[in-house]
Amino acid sequence: TGTLHSLDPLPMQGPELGIQADDIEAPEVEQEPKQEVLENKNVVVQRVHIDGLGRTKEDLLTYEIAEVFRANNLIDVMRKSHEARQKLLRLGIFRKVEVNIDTSRGEDALPNGLDVTFEVTELRRMTGSYNTMVGNNEGSMVLGLRLPNVFGRAEKLTFQFSYGTKETSYGLSFFKPQPGHFERNVSFNMYKVTGQFPWSSLRETDRGVSAELSFPMWKTNQTLKWEGVWRELGCLGQNASFAIRNESGHSLKSSLSHAMVVDTRNSSILPRKGGLLKIHQELAGYTGGDARFLKEDFEIQLNKTLYWDSVLSASLWGGLLLPFGDAPTCIADRFYLGGPTSIRGFSMYSMGPQSDGDYLGGEAYWAGGLHLYTPLPFRPGRGGFGDLFRTHFFLNAGNLCNLHYGEGPQAHLKKLAECIRWSYGLGIVLRLGNIARLELNYCIPMGVQSGDRICDGIQFGAGIRFL
Amino acid sequence: MSLAAEAFVSQLAAAEPWPENATLYQPLKEDQILLSDHASSLAVQAYLRMCGLPVQVLCRVNSEFMSPSGKIPFIHVGNQVVSELGPIVQFTKAKGHSLSDGLDDVQRAEMKAYMELVNNMLLTAELYIQWCDDATAAEISRPRYSSPYSWPLSKILAYQKQWEVRRKMNAIGWGGKTLQQVYEDVSQCCQALSQRLGMQPYFFNKQPTELDALVFGHLFTILTTRLTSSELAERVKSYSNLLSFCRRIEQTYFEDKSS
Repeated sequence: TGTLHSLDPLPMQGPELGIQADDIEAPEVEQEPKQEVLENKNVVVQRVHIDGLGRTKEDLLTYEIAEVFRANNLIDVMRKSHEARQKLLRLGIFRKVEVNIDTSRGEDALPNGLDVTFEVTELRRMTGSYNTMVGNNEGSMVLGLRLPNVFGRAEKLTFQFSYGTKETSYGLSFFKPQPGHFERNVSFNMYKVTGQFPWSSLRETDRGVSAELSFPMWKTNQTLKWEGVWRELGCLGQNASFAIRNESGHSLKSSLSHAMVVDTRNSSILPRKGGLLKIHQELAGYTGGDARFLKEDFEIQLNKTLYWDSVLSASLWGGLLLPFGDAPTCIADRFYLGGPTSIRGFSMYSMGPQSDGDYLGGEAYWAGGLHLYTPLPFRPGRGGFGDLFRTHFFLNAGNLCNLHYGEGPQAHLKKLAECIRWSYGLGIVLRLGNIARLELNYCIPMGVQSGDRICDGIQFGAGIRFL
Repeated sequence: MSLAAEAFVSQLAAAEPWPENATLYQPLKEDQILLSDHASSLAVQAYLRMCGLPVQVLCRVNSEFMSPSGKIPFIHVGNQVVSELGPIVQFTKAKGHSLSDGLDDVQRAEMKAYMELVNNMLLTAELYIQWCDDATAAEISRPRYSSPYSWPLSKILAYQKQWEVRRKMNAIGWGGKTLQQVYEDVSQCCQALSQRLGMQPYFFNKQPTELDALVFGHLFTILTTRLTSSELAERVKSYSNLLSFCRRIEQTYFEDKSS
């Protein structure tokens, strides 16, 4: 007989409006009457092979398809083939993967034997791309040149040029996964980023190299990274305050950092359930360079679906920058707070220590948010476009300040608890694919300290990471 | 500065008297500052002392990058930041302090001409010797310029500065000169200054002007800075009236200064 079953390709990860990959449940296998006979029948997978390989090395792929051999009934074969197909696709080296399951042919064919064939189309040697990207309240055009599968084992070489409203950058990056364990990978990067930050009247150019090792451990994802960056700071405009002028010049940062991420959410943009825990620490100065500090920051988010399709979400962020030695901290290392993606109702990064209207950032901060997301009232456009929008009630609070490290932790906690800024309001959120979200909020800022710049009333925000 | 910018700065400057906490910024004296920067800084310090304006000298590693024009020295007075001798003279004039008010137009033109001579000859020669002479660049200039930074940033910044200065030297036609030619130029410049000074205490007889401050800054620095060879200092020393001029200004205005 001919082909029994051929799976349609599922949409790949990427920016698209409409149906989201993670909203789709795993496809139900059609239960036709004649297949009931086969459901419980034992089968043996005799051959699994991959057609259409060019430069990809076979040994890389044997790991991904190995599971299929262990299936022992038809439903299992189909499920494991589907999983193997997903694994092949996530390597990022194939444009298309189709699965054919057929009865065994040939001399050594068993009566209940099956042949599984993966028909793959490799990506071209070099692909170009043009995207627009949304960062935190900034947009950029990104031109990319990618060489997927450079040496045949899913290595990827990417060159990217990005021109944005606040930053211009270009960079070269080489990514190599471990064969058989795609989640364990190493990447090397070289980049130059130039940014302009009008809230601080500061211009910053960073030229850096980094090496990063990522691997999963139990339920977490760990990343170890070394980074060396040459930072050049300068004043933006003639009216920069003297505090910013004081920070101008060159410095070298060589740091080791570690990050741990546990993400059980169903989506990173407007999740309905699950939680996120992200802990990051960076130690600079012990591998060379001028900057010497220890930087810690964390991010926690919890989500729960309530009645009537509404979601309650709580998040907490915090960070601490601890300098070593006598030198003061550099503005390029400090934290900033405020804006449509953190404490709404305040202008972008316009909170905390400042001098003549230029915000200097702070060495310690915390910020928390409580949100209630509900479907739009009266549910217009239900089932289609209307599902991308949510109404959103929020409460944000936080503080950003400098600490005198001679005092003890009691004094620090007290300082972070004084002068808390907070805000509340409501708005509309639009989800952009799986990548970004737009918000239009009406905000009421409270606890405003002198020197903070507020944006009470309507505030628009676009980004990928929101408090 | 453009005329409009000058007028604007003058308006702002005139509003407030000279504060007590005026500061002058330059690179670190012991380890970092180079001959040309030290000369420029000393010229400004001498000028301010001659005007009787108090200023505190602060040494900062990044003073070159803090300066609005990228050049040393600059002063921070009240809310304003002004760099280089020319604009600083304008700035103090707007506040009502000037050393050249007593000069007539002919003398003022002469003063400007001699200041141009010093900037075009002496300052350029100092830059040439520091960065275009391989021995001096390798032994003194690059190590000193890069001393506050760690490797490899130190190397990158030192070579970047060297390329920048050499490009500028080529652009103004000094790229093809030899060291001896540069020393000759210095001698000629000193001769012109020596002739103009004659036996007078200052260039314009009894009262010092900004020209005196500028010449003092450069000559004194040349005389007291150790380079790979002492030829530059020797050339200046051969003009005895310039030597006594420097000594006189040092004793009159810098006697409290510890070397």
